[in-house]
Amino acid sequence: MKSDPGRKRAHTIVTSTIARHVTVCASCQLLARLEARRCLKDIEPRLFPEDRGPDQGAVVELFGLEGTGKTELLYHLLCRCVLPEAAGGLEVDVVFVDTDYSLDMLHLVSILDSKLTLLAGADEAALRSCLSRLLFVHCYSSSQLLLTLHFLETTLSSRPALALILIDSISAFYWVDRCEGGASYTKQEEKLSRCAELLGRLLRDYRITVFATCHAIRRPGVPSSSSDSERSYLCRSWQRLVTHRLLCSRQEPGNNMAAEGGHDQEQRRQQIFTVHCTTFSSRVKVSWSSFFCVTEAGFSE
Amino acid sequence: MVVLREGMCPGLDEDLLRDLRAADIKTVEDLVSSDIEGLAQKCSVSYKALFAIRRVLLAQHTAFPVSGADLYEELLSSTAILSTGNPSLDKLLDSGLYTGEITELSGGPGSGKSQVCFGVAVHISYQLKQSVIYIDTTGGLAASRLLQMLQAETSNTEEQMEALQRIHVFRLFDVYALLDCLYSLRSGGLQQASVGGGSVKAVIVDSVSAVISPLLGGKQNEGMSLMIQVAGALKTMAKDFNVAALVTNHVTRSGSGEVQPGLGVSWSHIPRTRILLERVEKAAAVSQPSLRSAKLIKSSRQPCHIKEEFDLQWWSRSEKGSSGKRKLGETDS
Repeated sequence: MKSDPGRKRAHTIVTSTIARHVTVCASCQLLARLEARRCLKDIEPRLFPEDRGPDQGAVVELFGLEGTGKTELLYHLLCRCVLPEAAGGLEVDVVFVDTDYSLDMLHLVSILDSKLTLLAGADEAALRSCLSRLLFVHCYSSSQLLLTLHFLETTLSSRPALALILIDSISAFYWVDRCEGGASYTKQEEKLSRCAELLGRLLRDYRITVFATCHAIRRPGVPSSSSDSERSYLCRSWQRLVTHRLLCSRQEPGNNMAAEGGHDQEQRRQQIFTVHCTTFSSRVKVSWSSFFCVTEAGFSE
Repeated sequence: MVVLREGMCPGLDEDLLRDLRAADIKTVEDLVSSDIEGLAQKCSVSYKALFAIRRVLLAQHTAFPVSGADLYEELLSSTAILSTGNPSLDKLLDSGLYTGEITELSGGPGSGKSQVCFGVAVHISYQLKQSVIYIDTTGGLAASRLLQMLQAETSNTEEQMEALQRIHVFRLFDVYALLDCLYSLRSGGLQQASVGGGSVKAVIVDSVSAVISPLLGGKQNEGMSLMIQVAGALKTMAKDFNVAALVTNHVTRSGSGEVQPGLGVSWSHIPRTRILLERVEKAAAVSQPSLRSAKLIKSSRQPCHIKEEFDLQWWSRSEKGSSGKRKLGETDS
């Protein structure tokens, strides 16, 4: 034990200086937290009607199989956030946490471009300023995700315009964590639980919003009994955080194709995607459905 | 999970480590998540020192945010599109294989996946003069076939040999060897392969399902975890070294009887673009047994379910162009 009197005295002096420093820091952080971050309730009135949009502190989970339009929807919401108000955006900063190298930057830029061309006087600089509102970070394991979220806390304090964290996807480490955790479910879910708890604290303290995609791991066996495949399989801490759940699915295109070497035009059918939203806010479960299809300019009703 | 070791950062000496372990702090994540003030009192170390250690460890192990504008600039300058050598396939893939992404070719036995991979490898090494890494897990690669394809491109033996030298072949038959190979390629193998030829632009794994599907199923999670690790290693390599990854997969029948790519739902999220190869079943095809149809089933750039027909013999057609086996694309791009 290294407790000799000289050391203790030095320790107390240093601690009191630090304590003052810490109080100054804490008050800066407090101010950063109290300052209102942009509320994202009106982020997409076609998807979230009236006042059922994601409020501050909301967590929206986009769940679905491959090819059901989750990424497209996420990019659309992302563009809406970073575009300037003149182009119909919200002008907020966004952090994009990428866990499986799935960010298609070129695709994102093409959507931004198509929206910016409608704005008079838009040029390279407008695109750059939109992109500079986006902060991109890549994590290769759930441990790194936890550390990165801790690091993001300082970023949140220093950027009051940062109102949204996008995680694509939160389920990327599910199988690796399950295998590492061995036989005990608690150990398997431990890392994601810690991330979820930290996210919960950041949501409460900084009043931001979180959107996350979650890949489905089970295909519905029989179309009518799809509830099993739609159930969330991630840890309980994460399920408790989620306030809005968007179930994305794709309507099967009708089998009306004469397989006659038809090219392009005939085969380019409009793909209709369905989004079924459920929200648990205010203790009442409300759900509704929307439909959209993907065109050259992103998505439309 | 990164375990705390002495010397990881200045100030983290053996005594402090011992005190931390006594307070149940064994990893970097534990240290970063815990309450520093309480911990400093428990380990009787100064708050300032512990706070500084936390900050250094966090900076060492976290991922740093990059601005979107910088990322876009970097991508613009480093992304390349590699033509597959076959105009129909290129049309399906929106001009070719994109670097930084995984493209998947799935199909039943005899549908031509390996032949397409050979064709792509030969095209990249001969026409584009870049190196290719070919990981063969089925034993289906024969250098004589590659030579046959090259002989259709040129009759100069020097050039043929040079092109063959740019294709680096790895033969492995289980998933651990595959992971080993991918990790060693990432840490210096790719640079080595680039010596004396063009830089490595494509990594072809034929086939990834041959090593993974025996491990799936049952109650064990290890198979799924290994599959995700292979995917992660491929994607990281594709992104960090700007290579295009092409993998092949087998097919299964879905509940409703239609053909779908194998390896399940969890793998379906991994490739950016997926193509399903099938034999062409119609009367006209009897005289052309090498005709195949390719259907795009997942793409972020094109509408899905577009089909193209192409001839497997495209890559070994001779320049003199007789025998009428060229079914498509009058323009030679």
